[in-house]
Amino acid sequence: MATAAQRRIKSVSYAKYGYFFILPFFIVYFIFSLWPLLQTFVLAFHSNGARTNLTFVGLDNFRTILATPAENDFKAMGIHETFWKYMKNTVIIWVGNFIPQIALSLLLAVWFTDLRVKMPGKGFFKVVMYMPNIITAASVAGLFLSLFGNSSYSVINTLRGPDVEPLKIITDMWQSRVLVMFIQVWMWFGNTMIMLMSGIQGINESLFEAAEIDGANTHQTFWRITFPLLKTIMVYTLLTSMIGGLQMFDIPYMLHTGNVINEHIATVAVFVYEMFHKNFAKPSFGYSAAASVILFVITSILGALVFWVQRDKDAMEKAKKRRQAIKEAKRKAKGGGFSI
Amino acid sequence: MNKLKKSLALVATLAIASTAFYACGTTSTPAETQESQESVTEESTEESETEESETEASETEESKEEAVADIALPETGDKLSILCWTPDDVTKMIEHFEKANPDYAGKCEYVNVGSNGGEAREGYANYFAGGEDVDLFVLEADWILEYINNDEYTAPLSDLGFSASDFSGNYAYTVAIGTNNDGVLKGASWQATPGGYVYRTDLAEKYLGAKTPEEMQEFVKDWATFEETAAKVKKDSEGKTALVDTLGGLWQVWQYNRSTGWAKDDALIVDDYCKEYAETAKKYWTEGYVTKEDQWQDGWYAIGQDDSTLGYFFCTWCLGEGSMLSNAEGGEGGSTYGKYAITAGPSDWAWGGSWLAVSPNCDNGQMAHDFVKHFTVDEATMEDYALFKGEFVNNPTVMEKIVNDKSNSNKLLGGQDQFSVLFESAKGINMDGKITQYDAQIKAAFNDAVTKYAKGDYASYDDMIAAFKKEAAKIEGLTVE
Repeated sequence: MATAAQRRIKSVSYAKYGYFFILPFFIVYFIFSLWPLLQTFVLAFHSNGARTNLTFVGLDNFRTILATPAENDFKAMGIHETFWKYMKNTVIIWVGNFIPQIALSLLLAVWFTDLRVKMPGKGFFKVVMYMPNIITAASVAGLFLSLFGNSSYSVINTLRGPDVEPLKIITDMWQSRVLVMFIQVWMWFGNTMIMLMSGIQGINESLFEAAEIDGANTHQTFWRITFPLLKTIMVYTLLTSMIGGLQMFDIPYMLHTGNVINEHIATVAVFVYEMFHKNFAKPSFGYSAAASVILFVITSILGALVFWVQRDKDAMEKAKKRRQAIKEAKRKAKGGGFSI
Repeated sequence: MNKLKKSLALVATLAIASTAFYACGTTSTPAETQESQESVTEESTEESETEESETEASETEESKEEAVADIALPETGDKLSILCWTPDDVTKMIEHFEKANPDYAGKCEYVNVGSNGGEAREGYANYFAGGEDVDLFVLEADWILEYINNDEYTAPLSDLGFSASDFSGNYAYTVAIGTNNDGVLKGASWQATPGGYVYRTDLAEKYLGAKTPEEMQEFVKDWATFEETAAKVKKDSEGKTALVDTLGGLWQVWQYNRSTGWAKDDALIVDDYCKEYAETAKKYWTEGYVTKEDQWQDGWYAIGQDDSTLGYFFCTWCLGEGSMLSNAEGGEGGSTYGKYAITAGPSDWAWGGSWLAVSPNCDNGQMAHDFVKHFTVDEATMEDYALFKGEFVNNPTVMEKIVNDKSNSNKLLGGQDQFSVLFESAKGINMDGKITQYDAQIKAAFNDAVTKYAKGDYASYDDMIAAFKKEAAKIEGLTVE
């Protein structure tokens, strides 16, 4: 039998200390994330060219970026065209890196989790494949610049021989885009693979065993069991990759020579950075912030769209029926029937 | 036990929470530290007090000796921090300065801010915001105006006790650039940066028969002759050798030779000069008068050793030990080491230039004064530094003396004295009223557009100018019509 004192101790709640422990995160979050986030929205409606004493300009920044500029208004033309060019680049590069990346990651994840594949050194390969993600983007950009540089002395042009016209991969429109896509795939497929693997390992193993006993081949197992049950994690991957892809910055920004960014691979994030950063004496915070807000809206819409497409129709149907049943019961109760 | 757990949890939470305010602490101002030091000395024994008064006495004696003018900035810091984007100059300067002033040995510190001028341009503002010690920092011609027109970042040189007459020995254009819009002198340069054409002596003899720099100059004396020579070299080498290193090199000569500024009253100027350079660049590129390499990339140096180029457009700061010329020769023992020589080239030009500016938060007024004086005012130390570093110092009298004494010889140039050639070029340098605060960005945009035009990315000159105007119009504060 527990004494009264023991019972009292048992009932002591430590829950409030939990709040103390998460407090630091929230303090840091409010100061370094939430405040700047809200500030971005405020700045989007303010003037450019100064750090202090900004005036409210309403939707002017958005108009400059989005609306078709007037003839001979070079400033509006420059900003408008750059933004849309960079937006196009962002979408092209994201799509071009997401599709091969998810295909490769899925294939490898299935292989690594398949009970029948007895591959030695699985752990080693997983680590090696994840490795590119650990290298800082700056080093990666430097590496690829010397491998695929425009110079006749870069690795690729040296291998092609001295009498061949050197390749200009870094400045050519499609070659540079494909190179960025490749780098993005190379850097991120390991990460996606690990995520998909954890998804596959979360599937009940007895399902695979049952399928095997029933004589399903690997192809059938994948399309009938793995793929449908992996949907949630796939949606998650798609979402995170999309958000990350729209904000892609480091490689597109750094993969250039000289002091001008390559316009064929520059992304919206590069636009945001350049607008306020390049002209440090008169920074254009307004255009940067407005572009960020536009990006935010696009991301939100796409995110909502993904959820809408992937919604669980069966569960929604069931919930609807349940609601209807409750309504029916209530009506009956009102109508003189007897309730329990 | 419970209390212990509770208090442990509280302490841990506070410890983590306190990190949230890590960067928010105020750094103690010099005045505060001074106070605290004073309070410490007050507590100390009589003995040290007497010591203190002794040192004070000796200090006042020293300052009586100096007695130049009032140094408004305090002398409370223990280190003179000098900011720059490259160690090439500042570390050599510190070495030279400390050798001449043993009292200051070990008290000067070089701080790296970015790896090129463009990075430092933004890096300084961020660095200052961090509240770290800043005494002096180096500014580049293309963006000096952004800093010297901002009193938050720069203090007048009069705060270090200098008057305008102290710099009367300098090249006039450097003083003009170091003066801000209100006529306040805020930057002092230790160098003038005239450039010339640095060429391979063996190739020049092979293709042109030029044996001396004087003979070579005849082949490159003006742009028309230069182009003829380029065609001849191209033909005789069967397309292997170009006369100019890169489009970037050609651009450096041209960008200096624009007769007007890039903007007037904050409005962009596009005139015949733009067309002339664009067409020249295109011609040089398509005819193969320049190599297809890019400046500042590995290939830029590699072409200096494999006969791809006959020469480079280099200026004073490209010619010292460990500099661009040294890299182009493959360093000591490289295949073209010492096989270069310098000649004036088709036109006078200058490339960049560096100015010392003083921070309003400088806490080593006396030391900063001595440092600036050492490299920009004092002729004896400047002459010594010119020979020590191979620097073209900012004083025509000193440079003329070095040229006449024939006291300089450059191993990279096979023993030739580059100053004798560049001293003549320097006489023609004039940047008065030609620099604007938008230069760094406008020039980058224009050079990028012309490079693309030369490579065939734009169908016509008008397309190129339209693209350039759109790019330049993005610069806040600049109007483009």
